[in-house]
Amino acid sequence: MLKRFSITATAFLVGSPGLWAQAPSAPAPAEPAQLGALAPANIAKPRPKPPFDITGTWLHAMARDNPFNFSPPPGFKLTPEAQVQYDAAKKARAEGKAYHDDIGQCWPAGLPVIMTRVWPIAMIQKPTVIFMVSGFMNSTRIIYLDGRKHTDPDIIIPSFNGESIGHWEGDSLVVDTIGFVEDHHWIDNGIPASDKLHVVERMSLLGDGATLQIEYTMSDPKNWVGEWKWTKRWKRVDDTDITEASCLPDLNAHMPSVTSTTTNIH
Amino acid sequence: MKKLLIALCTIGIAYAHHSMEGFDRAKNVTLVGTVKQFKWANPHSWIELEVTNDKGAVETWNIEMTAPFVLVKAGWKSTSLKPGDKVTVVGHPQKTGEPGALFVSVTTAEGQTLTDRPPGAPAPPAAK
Repeated sequence: MLKRFSITATAFLVGSPGLWAQAPSAPAPAEPAQLGALAPANIAKPRPKPPFDITGTWLHAMARDNPFNFSPPPGFKLTPEAQVQYDAAKKARAEGKAYHDDIGQCWPAGLPVIMTRVWPIAMIQKPTVIFMVSGFMNSTRIIYLDGRKHTDPDIIIPSFNGESIGHWEGDSLVVDTIGFVEDHHWIDNGIPASDKLHVVERMSLLGDGATLQIEYTMSDPKNWVGEWKWTKRWKRVDDTDITEASCLPDLNAHMPSVTSTTTNIH
Repeated sequence: MKKLLIALCTIGIAYAHHSMEGFDRAKNVTLVGTVKQFKWANPHSWIELEVTNDKGAVETWNIEMTAPFVLVKAGWKSTSLKPGDKVTVVGHPQKTGEPGALFVSVTTAEGQTLTDRPPGAPAPPAAK
């Protein structure tokens, strides 16, 4: 009996170093299961040196071979539900009308479209995370680099930019994004995004680091068959900063492009 | 030449964050009126212009503009237009005939013309 008590007491004390050293004061708080990306203890963890630092201000490099939009690739096949939307948008365009111009109505652009607006994006890289803040509506993307996994699908909170987890592969950063909203989110005119959208981005800095290239692979089984791929480029713009830009109802009230009831199909 | 055309195309859609399907870019409308309000704001600036129509009634036109940071490069300030200014505005009209237009240029009573392009930039393609 005495022996069993002795073993139990030893195990308790060894398993509670805080109590052993500081008794009778309160035990030290346990480290949370997942430290915040900006927690000093997380940032300080040893990690391999990343191959590049994306920190800077970037602007989509519009060109004929690098368009803003993410148009469906040749031979694309939509699901029947998405085809209805695509055909309706095509008809609206032929009539000179805007089909579900949700961005104009202040809905967030969402990934991937937010990346290719005509506004610069401020990107800030820490060892554990990259923050991307678009000059347009100051939409924020957070790419976690601290080794965490995607949030449990049962508790992930849907968003327009999704939940992005990145890891380094050679000279590239591979970013996996899921957890999107179902509504008011579009890939292109008449191409909806769903909660099953899955975006993989392979990010690389080219040449002297003045060009950011992202190779996109996207699937959304609710809306199209297979994977769609695009490669887009951004240029570093060291002579500019992002500013506050909020889409507001009272400003929109003076914008004929979004107030006209006869040329906007909602 | 090819490069110039690409540049023109780029400028043509510059700093619109949403659909511009509602404007007839092939047409220009010239409006002589009085500035009711000039809004200097992100993501788009705009002019509220009071125009007397053919029947003698005063209509308020909304003139949609680009972002202020683009206008700054074209020589604009927040004080470039003030309520009460007598101006001539050129814009692409709405296809529906509603009193609204996409901004092309403004000429003040003093004869100064401002566009949304930097000085020396190629002129926009002529409206058909």
